[in-house]
Amino acid sequence: MIIIMAVDALEYEKVEEFNCRNLKQKCYGKTDISEFSQPRTMVLWSSFMTGKNKEEEVLRKGDKEMWNITWGLEETLFSEFKSPVVLDLPGFNYDKKVHDKSRELLKKFFDAKDDEEKRKIRREYNNDAFEHHKKVKQDFLRAIKEKHDLVLGYFSIADVIGHLNFGNTTMMRMIYKELDEIAAEINSKGKLIILSDHGMKPIGVFGDHSSYGFWSTNFETKLRNPRITDFYDFIIELKRKQE
Amino acid sequence: MENLKLVIVGHVDHGKSTLIGRLFYDTDSLPEGRIEEIREICEALGKELEFAYVMDHLEEERDQGITIDTAQTFFRTKKRQYTIIDAPGHVEFLKNMITGASQAEAAILIVDVNEGVQEQTRRHAYILSLLGLDQVIVVMNKMDLINYKEEMYDEVKKELLKFLESININPTYVIPISAKEGDFIAKKTRNLSWYDGPTVLEALDTFKTKNSPRDKPLRFPVQDVYKYDKRMIVGRIESGIIRVGDKIKILPSGEETIVKSIAEYMKENVMQAEAGKSTGIVTQDKVFVDRGDVITHLEDLPVITDTINAHIFWMDKQPFKKPERLLFKCATQEVMCSIEKIERVIDSSTLRLLRRDADEIRNREVADTVIKTEKPVVVEDFNKIQELGRFVLQRKDTCAGGIITNIQKE
Amino acid sequence: MNHLDRLESKSIFIIREAYKKFRKIGMLWSIGKDSTTMLWLAKKAFYGRVPFPVIYIDTGLHFKEMYEFRDECVKKWGLKLIVSKNYEEAERRGIGPEAKLECCTVRKTEALKKTIAEYKFEALLLGIRRDEHGIRAKERVFSPRNRDFMWDYKDQPPELWDQFKTRKEGEQHLRVHPLLHWTELDIWEYIKREKLPVNPLYFAKKGKRYRSLGCMPCTSPVESEADTVDKIINEVRESKVAERSGRAQDKEEANAMQKLRALGYM
Repeated sequence: MIIIMAVDALEYEKVEEFNCRNLKQKCYGKTDISEFSQPRTMVLWSSFMTGKNKEEEVLRKGDKEMWNITWGLEETLFSEFKSPVVLDLPGFNYDKKVHDKSRELLKKFFDAKDDEEKRKIRREYNNDAFEHHKKVKQDFLRAIKEKHDLVLGYFSIADVIGHLNFGNTTMMRMIYKELDEIAAEINSKGKLIILSDHGMKPIGVFGDHSSYGFWSTNFETKLRNPRITDFYDFIIELKRKQE
Repeated sequence: MENLKLVIVGHVDHGKSTLIGRLFYDTDSLPEGRIEEIREICEALGKELEFAYVMDHLEEERDQGITIDTAQTFFRTKKRQYTIIDAPGHVEFLKNMITGASQAEAAILIVDVNEGVQEQTRRHAYILSLLGLDQVIVVMNKMDLINYKEEMYDEVKKELLKFLESININPTYVIPISAKEGDFIAKKTRNLSWYDGPTVLEALDTFKTKNSPRDKPLRFPVQDVYKYDKRMIVGRIESGIIRVGDKIKILPSGEETIVKSIAEYMKENVMQAEAGKSTGIVTQDKVFVDRGDVITHLEDLPVITDTINAHIFWMDKQPFKKPERLLFKCATQEVMCSIEKIERVIDSSTLRLLRRDADEIRNREVADTVIKTEKPVVVEDFNKIQELGRFVLQRKDTCAGGIITNIQKE
Repeated sequence: MNHLDRLESKSIFIIREAYKKFRKIGMLWSIGKDSTTMLWLAKKAFYGRVPFPVIYIDTGLHFKEMYEFRDECVKKWGLKLIVSKNYEEAERRGIGPEAKLECCTVRKTEALKKTIAEYKFEALLLGIRRDEHGIRAKERVFSPRNRDFMWDYKDQPPELWDQFKTRKEGEQHLRVHPLLHWTELDIWEYIKREKLPVNPLYFAKKGKRYRSLGCMPCTSPVESEADTVDKIINEVRESKVAERSGRAQDKEEANAMQKLRALGYM
């Protein structure tokens, strides 16, 4: 089985700082996303799953519509697999309702006038993120117990929580530990690739996207500073070697 | 409020951060909202509350984490304020641990009762004894995992006490605890009804703040000489008491004079100054005196020598190789020196002998050495007067700390 | 010798050591309670004089009462004052408090860099304390900074038994922290004991007082009725709220909003 933990905004420096041994696995490093003008979530995951730089195409849709993009199966690397499970990946099949609400709350937060209101909104925003994470985690672990040749789980908790709480080190530490524990639970179940689209850097208590991503594997690999579009071929190669 | 500097040492996985979190929680010393915040996140992630997260800014250890540096923080009981110097457990950062521990007045050595005495436990205990820390309590943690049974506690306690005895450490208490559940940190719980000793907080309150060594012979290292309207010799008195009218000696030259006055800003008629005080004196005669000299009374003199036997622990990544010259700093004295003989090199965790008659000392090794200074220095045996019995060796930064074991008189 | 005596002696030892070791040394004075205490300790160390310049970084955004207090102290204590400033550049470039971090960089950091270069300071005395903030808990008493004021908190030289790093290398300057081991409570108790002058902003007026002083736009007062040193001491003793919590936490909000917009989130 090939397992992919797609963790949005997983930051290399934080993985080091919090010493997440299971996220680092056997080999790990940064990804090169310098070919993109901005580290945008939709652009990066689209490029990942299609193996092509999709920035222009995605941006043409505009900020609002771009979140509704869904690529056809044949365009993605998932078409190479007999029984792939892809959970919640933006640009493929993610839960629009949940993520739209999250962005709405984000906007409401910045529009809010006083601290009390901000606190309430932040609370709701955070709670939603944790709830959704629990659900994805459950589905992900269940899928791994079944017989599939590819399971991809998309984890947005680090990104969502990070945007409003990156400066809250306790919270971030606990989230990274949680992700580390998930990695520990699954790293014996198959070939595991952990990948993020971009990282995160602080603006005071808030989080901005950093200009590189994170990758790691539980097997030996010659990957060195890979581009996110390189993973298309990499994963297909990996599948071929398994057969 | 009185303050006691406390260091907590032991193996990285034995529960230090949970213990610290507990100490803060149980003494109600946490910043407002801290515990609720953590409880909420733990709940949101479907986990039990973990105290280890409480001391976030300490960059402290978790089950799989590494503390990177010593950091200091405070909690209070009714008796006094405790500064916790949390020293990192990971072997990588030994120099940081030693920096922290060297400032402590008392120590808690933590041992996981399930795992027993580990390499790191031994290494840290050894460093405590090297640093002359003699106020130690041991806590035997994770009693909850063995159902609070007495037998295992007794077994590990026996093994540990045997080791501690061999390095001259006498813990005042060996307390069974569960930092996670809160047994015997602040509360005596029924789980450990067979133990009739104090809780950790009670034991801490029995420690004494380091009494300045007022009753020891006078040792006043000269830090500087100021020439304002009077000529003042300034520095911090490291032991003893100096009084106006005292006959004093300036070492190593041996010149003698009398204390004419003690100078303190905005105070008149100061008659004495005691150990720990930064002060200044004016002498009757115009003697030759400079930074690095040591002022004493006429009897009970320290040793003036250029040959010193010392235990040193090397903390630099770049090893020492003969015949490198280093800077020897003891109190305010600074002279170049060379390590003439490296008689034994010991592994700081196992205390095993690694090499004899060696040519080099590597990171984290302890060595018995003979040091020769290029000029005579004024020193003491570490067990007699600590402040003149300990020194550092520097290249650009401190590479090693040392304690003087046996002085060869010139 | 009591607790405050010991703290005082240790600080004096550190200040005298720094002065002996570095020819060109200055003391950073923010007009706040900590650096004013440090200034007083320097006077004690050198018997009434302060034999090095005192550096005040003027961001152009300080409270009026701070400027007044500064001038009083300079006169009373005969200080050699250097005013370090770069706020004209900030104003020219239109960088104000909304720019948050950049504002601090241009008005404070750049100003200090200029002053260090101009006077060729080898070391600076600063009044920071370990209990103020997480990252400060890791500081050493003598702490090196490179040309861009960076420091590697993970890999610092060990400090044992008051033997400090007193050899400067190359372009570094050293930061010396004589108050590292003092707490907020210690400072107020010392102020009481020595009867030190206190900036009126620290005392409560109309139910509010400043616990920590920074630039006007980024410092908020806290609820308090403490209008004397004794009352402040009681308040601090009971308090569990972090001292610097009144300093604008979410100052970067505008920045963050902008970034998120650029990433298509809103």
